[in-house]
Amino acid sequence: MLADELRLASFAVLAALALVALPLFLHLPGWVPLVFALLLAWRATLVWQRQPLPRRLWLMLGLLLPIAALWLNLRTLVGREGGVAFLLLLVGGKALETASLRDWRVLLALGFFLAATPLLFDQSPLSAIWLLLSLFALTWAMVLLSGEDARLSPAVTARALLLSFPLMVVLFVVMPRLPGPLWSMPTEQQGATTGLADSMSPGAIGKMIPSREPVFTAEFRGSQPRVSQLYWRVMVFDQFDGTRWTAANLALPRGVALSGEAQPLRYDVVAEPFQGYLPMLEQGVEAGEGVVLGYQQKLRRVDAANTARLRYSVQSVASSQYRDALDEREQAFYLQLPADNPRTIQAGQALAGRHPLPAARLQALQLWLAEQGLRYTLNPPTLAGNVVDGFLFDSRQGFCEHFSSAFTVLARAAGLPARVVVGFQGGEFNTQGRFWQIRSSDAHAWSEVWVDGSWRRVDATALVAPQRVDAGIDSTLGEVAPRMPLVGGRPPGWAQWVGQQWQLANFSWQRWVVGYDAASQQKLFQQLGLGEVSAANVVKALLGGMALVLLPLAAYVLYGRRVRRSVAQQVWQALGQRLRGAGLAIAPGDTAAELQAHAARLAEDDQQALAALLQQWQRLQYGPQGGDDAAWRHLWRQVRAFRPAKVGRQR
Amino acid sequence: MQSITFAYRQLNALILGKPQQTRLALACLLAGGHLLIEDVPGVGKTTLAHSLAAVLGLDYRRVQFTSDLLPADVLGGSVFLPGEGRFEFRPGPVFSQLLLADEINRASPKVQSALLEAMEERQVSADGVTHALPEPFFVIATQNPDGQRGTFPLPESQLDRFLMRISLGYPPADAELKLLQGGDRRQVMHKLTAALSAADLLQLQQQAASLHVSPALAGYVLALLQATRQPELFLHGLSPRAGLALLAAARAWALLDGRDHVLPEDIKAVFVPVAAHRLTPRLPGGDSSALLLRILGNVALA
Repeated sequence: MLADELRLASFAVLAALALVALPLFLHLPGWVPLVFALLLAWRATLVWQRQPLPRRLWLMLGLLLPIAALWLNLRTLVGREGGVAFLLLLVGGKALETASLRDWRVLLALGFFLAATPLLFDQSPLSAIWLLLSLFALTWAMVLLSGEDARLSPAVTARALLLSFPLMVVLFVVMPRLPGPLWSMPTEQQGATTGLADSMSPGAIGKMIPSREPVFTAEFRGSQPRVSQLYWRVMVFDQFDGTRWTAANLALPRGVALSGEAQPLRYDVVAEPFQGYLPMLEQGVEAGEGVVLGYQQKLRRVDAANTARLRYSVQSVASSQYRDALDEREQAFYLQLPADNPRTIQAGQALAGRHPLPAARLQALQLWLAEQGLRYTLNPPTLAGNVVDGFLFDSRQGFCEHFSSAFTVLARAAGLPARVVVGFQGGEFNTQGRFWQIRSSDAHAWSEVWVDGSWRRVDATALVAPQRVDAGIDSTLGEVAPRMPLVGGRPPGWAQWVGQQWQLANFSWQRWVVGYDAASQQKLFQQLGLGEVSAANVVKALLGGMALVLLPLAAYVLYGRRVRRSVAQQVWQALGQRLRGAGLAIAPGDTAAELQAHAARLAEDDQQALAALLQQWQRLQYGPQGGDDAAWRHLWRQVRAFRPAKVGRQR
Repeated sequence: MQSITFAYRQLNALILGKPQQTRLALACLLAGGHLLIEDVPGVGKTTLAHSLAAVLGLDYRRVQFTSDLLPADVLGGSVFLPGEGRFEFRPGPVFSQLLLADEINRASPKVQSALLEAMEERQVSADGVTHALPEPFFVIATQNPDGQRGTFPLPESQLDRFLMRISLGYPPADAELKLLQGGDRRQVMHKLTAALSAADLLQLQQQAASLHVSPALAGYVLALLQATRQPELFLHGLSPRAGLALLAAARAWALLDGRDHVLPEDIKAVFVPVAAHRLTPRLPGGDSSALLLRILGNVALA
């Protein structure tokens, strides 16, 4: 390779590495990728000015200081952040050691490894697109390193990647999966911005509402539900300290009993757990594989510690109540109230006095709340002290958590066992993909009151702002909070269309690629009639899949060489193979004289044997007399017997 | 055969450090082709042409091409003879066995095409009368590389008339040192003696043309031609005429080697000089020679 070509290829390698590492700026302490970029820039300058590599001492300093800083910063060199940062610094250091072509190739191989690391932090389609870009850049650099003409190299790169794509698909589908999504890191805290908190105090859910971040998706088999039926239950808060609702997390064994014989809705959800609980439509009847329906109608993973994104199926009946037999102790538990908020407690007790029948009392409570002149807003004034009193009697402005909290307190004061349910309400139906996208802004809280042996849902918010429930959060936002540019008003039609397409891409990506785990693989194997995912079957599928992909490719490549090889071709190719096997660098277009020149590195008698063979070859192939079959067969035998000894690897 | 070896040795005594190029030039003339020498001024283009004429014993004329040259200045023209009352054709410098067309790309396209037509037809037509050019007839044209000022680049269709295009390049250091210490090369040139006659040359040409080309070798040439026809490399691949030219040059090269048959080595030796000037790389700024070398490296013999 010429020096100038190597220079160009070196720049390509360094540029590709920089591109690969760019997303790590989002995930690592900013100075680490910066040091990496500086190391690359240092190397690029040296290449540019044709200067030799730096002295070992400088290199050591340039590498050990950042590593020490990394240790001080993260206190570790392993794990996700530490390991990736450490690797990044080492690759940067390696760049300053690259002298020969082989070194550059090694650096490039490290680049391919590095390209996978951003996926440890983020597995969105954007990361995948970036990975494709990185792969292209790296492969392009590899093509340049192999001495390809710079102007033809993009086409060569694209072709190579396209040809390898089917093989990649086969490997992705067939290679055994780890249980759980490949990229999840079980020790990491996930979903800090989209999650539901483990308690409810004024403002907690309100903070989530302006965010349009997608949280989970649901896909219904058969008929689609109405928006007003979509109460996604996640957590239940049953303890109140006067300000804040928390979960006591009792774990009583309890079966599920549903009133009515409505047809259950079957649906699949892809979600990450919130505080260990997964969203499920009220009221759950049956939980599918991997999830379990427990006390207080809460759904959780079977392996509860795993917080990775999960795909699961559930059956629910869209109903606002379910039967549950509470004993005395439980009833007392759901009636506990601190002495705070005296005005609310007084109001509740007054209503209880007037309506001795629990069902009538519940209706009276709802009526009473609706008559208080409350207003739904996302920007309520901040409350202190007796927050429920302050909301109901003074500010009279709030949103779901104020309403649900106030109503639950009111119900308990009126002697009805009650609790707060937190989850999501509504969702956006993606017409292309026929699935529901639920966002942060759909977060919601409502109350459940136990009357006549059933838990009944009371959405106090709906009593005041019914459009919140009937038409989704967007409608209330447009009306009540026009100042919020992020979600204010409805976006134009094309933007909705683009948004839906993106959702669809995201959904399909999560479902088919990120969510392709051991269970999905097992299912696919069975559908393909391959049986269990065992070592033998994987090898079978691998070989079969590769044959399926590679045979047409091979046919395509060999199509131009259908002609049967002549004896002359066989002789010549065999001779080339023998010499290559002996460690000589033979070009496909080498002539006899050039082969003989290469053979100067062979042993003396091998050289002579080769000279005799080449002479015969030239005479038969090009001489005026030509050669008959016998002469060719003779030469063919001689060539097959020719076994030159390997040359040493000295340069 | 000895005479041609002698001629080759004399050439190398004069053109120092360029055995490959002098050999190519000899092979070109042995194949009966015209030669284009492309290089910067001062590296010995004219000296090479001049000495070729001298050692081959050819009648030699030189025309310095300039932008105001007219076709008649090269081909000759009819002159009115007042005494006899008629026109007479006065042959121009083209009527010589070896014409050195110096800096051919400085002449106008009109003159260039007049000369190139004569080269191809080996005859000149004037006033309805055809005048045959002498045998043998060679043109050695020199040209400065494209992009120098005041040049009209030859179109590809006319470049095709030249069997080979070679460049001399700067001499190697030891040869140049020798050159600096010695006297003017043109003085040395006068000492050259003709190694063979025009008749010898014609006979050698015939001998070259009769060298054996095996089917396998023709197959190799075909593979090379087809390789140049890959659309991503050149605008147009080599023509069948170029293939014949390649074989003719390779035969002459093999003759210089004293062989009675052509080997792939001969093809490889003449491939770039014969093919490069006939091709335009697909990508602007591409180098035909580099692409052709890559083809040579990749096209297998069998």
